[in-house]
Amino acid sequence: MQNAVSNETVLDGRALSGVVAAPVQLLMAGLIGLVILYGAVFVESPVVHNAAHDMRHSQAFPCH
Amino acid sequence: MLFRQIVSYALLIGVLSGIVVTAVQMWRVIPIIQSAEQFEHASAAAHSHDHAISGHGQTPWAPAPGLERTGYTLLSNVLIAAGLALVMLPLMVARGATQTAGSIWRRGLLWGLAGYTVFYLAPASGLPPEIPGAGAAPLEARQIWWLLSVACTASGLAWMVFGRSRWRWSSVALLLVPHLIGAPQPSVAPFSEQAPAVAAQLTQLAEQFITATAMANAALWLVLGLSSVWAVRRMLLSRH
Repeated sequence: MQNAVSNETVLDGRALSGVVAAPVQLLMAGLIGLVILYGAVFVESPVVHNAAHDMRHSQAFPCH
Repeated sequence: MLFRQIVSYALLIGVLSGIVVTAVQMWRVIPIIQSAEQFEHASAAAHSHDHAISGHGQTPWAPAPGLERTGYTLLSNVLIAAGLALVMLPLMVARGATQTAGSIWRRGLLWGLAGYTVFYLAPASGLPPEIPGAGAAPLEARQIWWLLSVACTASGLAWMVFGRSRWRWSSVALLLVPHLIGAPQPSVAPFSEQAPAVAAQLTQLAEQFITATAMANAALWLVLGLSSVWAVRRMLLSRH
């Protein structure tokens, strides 16, 4: 019984790192990138705007 | 794990590119922004004198001039470069073996040139980089056009370069779409609220600003392109 449980755990651990297919991992990384870009470029809260102000102007993003 | 590798390399590339582009900005771009802000503040002071207080009470937080402001600009540059790397690295990995062949310089310069075209040349040709205080079309309209321009240029270039169909050259049409629609334009001249002498000075600053931002963005994409190709080679070759 003990053996069976530990085998299952090992299989689960493998499944977690192996089952997420490469394309899904690439997609996830790209989506996180898009969320970061959205925050840095488009978020209009005054605090974010003021912190990112000089970068937005320098990168020619629409700012004001 | 591929995901963890991409995120780590993107952070490294973000820090490296962020430092380089901040240095170029401090040299050429920030001095122009600060000069323009002096005019903007002078004009705002004159206006508030006329109309008494029109604000909504407390002014929002802004970084203090000097080191704090530079620090936040550096942080924003690192974030934006890491974000761009997070979008670009998966695309490069998806291209697979083609990315490990040939000169790293040539491939890095080509990816950099593509990024520069998508994120600077194409949007800036419709919406020139603005100095603070310049009048422009409503922000939302400009943001939508900016997104349209980036999306059309990115997909158009990708189709042209990676497409296999004999019709792939028709993607030129996609590149032209945002420019045929036309970027939102301000209803009045950018510095029409200023006195003619001030407006002339601001116009000159705005022209210098275009050259300065073109240079800072070229530096960003040079480092981003080369370091991303280097990172992808390390990732792909370590898997065999």
